[in-house]
Amino acid sequence: MATTTASVAISSSDLQPGNRLSINASSTLMQTGLTTGLELMEMGKGKLTEASAADALHESLGTADTANWVYICNNATDDTHYIKVGIHETIIGNLGAGDWMWMPWNMSDGDAEINIEAEPTGATIPYEYAIFKSTYTLPAKT
Amino acid sequence: MALVPTLTINDTTTFSDTINFSVTDSLTVTAPSSSLSTIVVDTTGANNIIVAANDNKQTWVFVRHTGTSDGSSSTSAHCDIEITGDVAVGTLKPNEWFFFPFCGNGASKGVQLQAVGSAVQCEYAYWSDSTGQ
Repeated sequence: MATTTASVAISSSDLQPGNRLSINASSTLMQTGLTTGLELMEMGKGKLTEASAADALHESLGTADTANWVYICNNATDDTHYIKVGIHETIIGNLGAGDWMWMPWNMSDGDAEINIEAEPTGATIPYEYAIFKSTYTLPAKT
Repeated sequence: MALVPTLTINDTTTFSDTINFSVTDSLTVTAPSSSLSTIVVDTTGANNIIVAANDNKQTWVFVRHTGTSDGSSSTSAHCDIEITGDVAVGTLKPNEWFFFPFCGNGASKGVQLQAVGSAVQCEYAYWSDSTGQ
């Protein structure tokens, strides 16, 4: 059985007076129903250019309300270079140089498309990503 | 103030090759923030706004489905993550978690949770990024 485990540790030594912050969580990625793991995975890296405006990270050709997970990391070394991440027309947030994110994704249709965009003007940003999917509809033959 | 989040993904069973990678970041954060808190999420997203609309303030958000409806009774109900205004992002099943950056992007948006079918208890925390990006 597919057993993909995602774990996070979030720590800080100076955020809370007299109390070191230490959050730990771990989960196994499962399809809806919680008995079968995620067996479709895509992983890669690329470069985003500001000139290309927003690009779709991946076609949202999945089934509504299924379980899918997305990892994105901004591998830029220039602190001023960041990636805007959005769901269709709504910006979620910005990934600065060295920042990563891990989130579930409802990849059901165009409205759920994840967009990524390099900023500021002239930036070229290396990034890496991984997508773990429940289902995927192969694109139609051309 | 520094916040150090580390993600580790591991899989030794699904494919003929092992997936095992880890990435660590160091974030400079500032107020406003919320230390780890719990919320019983009901089925109306507008009732469960965990990060208020903050325009351009970048915020790092952590949420975990506790696997319970109230801290003790287990549940299989899912919990949707939404941008306020009901923009769906994804769904947490029991014991799953997410960590992502959020900014209102000038559109007065926040982050809300919405249980599917019945109440779900989640824990959450957020920290404001001081870089202004």
